[in-house]
Amino acid sequence: MLGNGFPGYVYPVNPKATDIFEQTCYPSVLDIPGPVDLAVIVVPISYALAVTEECAKKGVKGIIMVTAGFSEVGGEGKQLEEQLMGIVDRYGMRLIGPNTLGVVNAHAGMNASIISKLPTKGGISFITQSGTLGLALADWTMEMGIGLNIVVSTGNKANVDDVDLLEYLADDKQTDVIAMYIEGINHGREFMEMAKGISKPILAVKAGRTRSGSKAVFSHTGSLAGSDDVYSAAFKQAGIIRIENIDDLFDSALALSVQPAPAGNRVGIISNGGGASIIASDTCERLGLAIPGLEPGTRASIKELVPKFASYSNPVDTAGLASYETYNGIGKHMLRDPNIDALIVIYVHTVMWDSRIPANAIVDIHRGRCLKPVITCWLGGAGTEAGIDILKAGGLPNYPVPERAVKALASLVKHHGFLEKVKE
Amino acid sequence: MNENEERLWKLLRDCNISVLPMAVASSTGAAVEVAQTLGHPVVMKLLSPDITHKSDVGGVILDLGSDKEVKDAYQGMMKSVKQHLPEARIEGVVLQKMAEPGLEVIVGAKLDPQFGHVIMFGLGGIFVEICSDVSFRVTPVDRDMAREMVLEIRGSPIIEGARGRESADLEAIIDVITALSSMLEKNPDITEIDINPLIVYSRGSVAVDARMLTK
Repeated sequence: MLGNGFPGYVYPVNPKATDIFEQTCYPSVLDIPGPVDLAVIVVPISYALAVTEECAKKGVKGIIMVTAGFSEVGGEGKQLEEQLMGIVDRYGMRLIGPNTLGVVNAHAGMNASIISKLPTKGGISFITQSGTLGLALADWTMEMGIGLNIVVSTGNKANVDDVDLLEYLADDKQTDVIAMYIEGINHGREFMEMAKGISKPILAVKAGRTRSGSKAVFSHTGSLAGSDDVYSAAFKQAGIIRIENIDDLFDSALALSVQPAPAGNRVGIISNGGGASIIASDTCERLGLAIPGLEPGTRASIKELVPKFASYSNPVDTAGLASYETYNGIGKHMLRDPNIDALIVIYVHTVMWDSRIPANAIVDIHRGRCLKPVITCWLGGAGTEAGIDILKAGGLPNYPVPERAVKALASLVKHHGFLEKVKE
Repeated sequence: MNENEERLWKLLRDCNISVLPMAVASSTGAAVEVAQTLGHPVVMKLLSPDITHKSDVGGVILDLGSDKEVKDAYQGMMKSVKQHLPEARIEGVVLQKMAEPGLEVIVGAKLDPQFGHVIMFGLGGIFVEICSDVSFRVTPVDRDMAREMVLEIRGSPIIEGARGRESADLEAIIDVITALSSMLEKNPDITEIDINPLIVYSRGSVAVDARMLTK
C-alpha cells in the first residue's frame, strides 16, 4: 500500500512495532485516530477473530481477510469461519476472503495484495478464485503491457462472492471487461441472472474441464451431465464467453477492452505473406468465422495498390509489400466494404523493412472511427517491437501469432452474439 | 409398477408428453388379455423391484404378435428369471404396444447442486452411448433454447433428414424438452430423469421408456 503511492491514509497496526516504513504503527485498530474504511487483516489465525471484532468496534465496514486456515482446511477451520461470519453479519460488514491474496485497484492506486507492484491501468478487471495463479497472472499482464483495473482474489468466498463482485464491476466505470478464473460457483442461478444483466463482456476460464467420473449410472443423463458440461451450458445461457485456457483469457480480454464488438462474423484479412494469412484463414474457419469475398469496387481499388501477382481478394496478400500507402489504402477499402465486419492485419517482419511503417498506416486509418474492430498480428520477434508499441499506443490489440489474433477476434464476435440474444 | 414408476408416467402424461399405452399383468391369462386390448404386436417387460437390468435376465421380449406368442413369452420369462435370480421378487410384467420405428432420441435431466435442473438432449443408441453427442441447458428452457440445443449436436442433420431419410418432427422434440422443463420446475425433488428412447416421427413423438430418481 505504502510503496505504491496510495493517495489515502494508511495506518499500520502491529502490537510489537512503533513504526513501519516510517509510518506510526498502532498497537490496535482501536488506537487509530481517524476513521477507517477498509482493514487488511494479515494475522496468525488465532488472532483473526479478535482483530475482526476490534475492526467492527472501530466502525470498519470492509475487511480483506488474507489470513488462511478457515474452511479450506476443514474441521475446526470451518467453525472458525462460521464464527468470523457471525461477527461480520452482526456488524453489517463486508468481507473478502478469508484465505484471499488481496485486492488491487489500479485506478485508485490501491494495492492491498501480495503483488509486487500495481499493474498498468487499463479496462480489464479480474476475479480469481485461485490466489497464487491470479496474482502471478497480474504480474504477467504487466510484462505483456495489458492494462488492468481491479484484481480480486476471492479466497473462500465466505461473504463477498462472485455474484457480488459481478454486480460491483458492472457499475464500475473503469471496468470495460470482466475476466474470471473460476473453480466453482456457489449460487449458480443467481450468478447466471447477474451475468445475463451485464452488457460488459464477461470471460471465464473454468478449471476442471475433464468429465467427472460420475458415480451415477442410473440414467444416461446422470452419467453424461458432468459438472463441466453444466458450467458450459450455464455460461452460454448467461452470455459468459468460456475460454479454454489462461493466455487466451487475457488475449480475448485485451481485444474486448480496446475494440468494439463486430456486427457479424465476416472477417477481412490483410497480410504481406501468404503463409500467415493461410493460418489465419484456417483458424477463422475452425472457430466459425467467415472469410467472405469483397465487393468488385473494393477489389478494383486494392488491385491498384498491390503488385500484379498479388492477391487482391480476401485474404489480401500484398506479396511482400508493406508500405504506408499499401497497408493504409487496403485497410481503408476493406473496412468500407459492406461484406466485412472485422479486420485482421498481419505484418510479417523482414530485416529489410521498418515495422513502424505498416503500424502507422493501420493506426492512422483506425484513428477516430472504430465501428469495425481491427486486430493486428506483427510477426517476427526482434525488430517488431517498435511497430507493436505504435499499435498499442493506437489502441490496437496485437498478437504474436495469427491463431491468437483470430481467437481473440472470435471472442469479440461471441460477445456480439450474446448482446443480441442473451443480454437483457 | 412401483410408486415411483406410476408417478413418472403420470407426470409425463400430465405434461402432454405422449406415452406408449401400457398395462400390467401378473398371470399368463391376464397378459394375453392385456395384449389383446393394447393390440398386437406388444413388448413384454419384467416387473420386479429387485432387477434393474431386465434384458440381462431375459426380462424384455419384443414384437409379440399373437395370443400364443404372448403366452409363451410370459411363461418363458418367469422361468428364465427364476433360474437367473431365484431370490428376486416378481410382480408380473408390463405390456406395451410395440412402437412404430422412428428416430430414437433421448431427453433427460439432472439436478445439479449449483445450477439446479439441467436438461440434456441427444440422439439415441450409439450416438449417446459412444459419441456422447449431447447438449445441455439449465432450466427453464424455452422453445428457442430447445431448438438451439437440438440443432447444436453434431448429429443434428439426421433429425433434418440426412441421406434420404425422412426428417423427424423438430417441433415435437421441442415440445417434449419444454414440457419436461416446466414439469421439473414443479417437481424439485426429481434428481435424475431419462426419457429413453423418445421415438420421433415425421409428425409427433412418443415416449417408449423412461426412468426417474427422486430425493
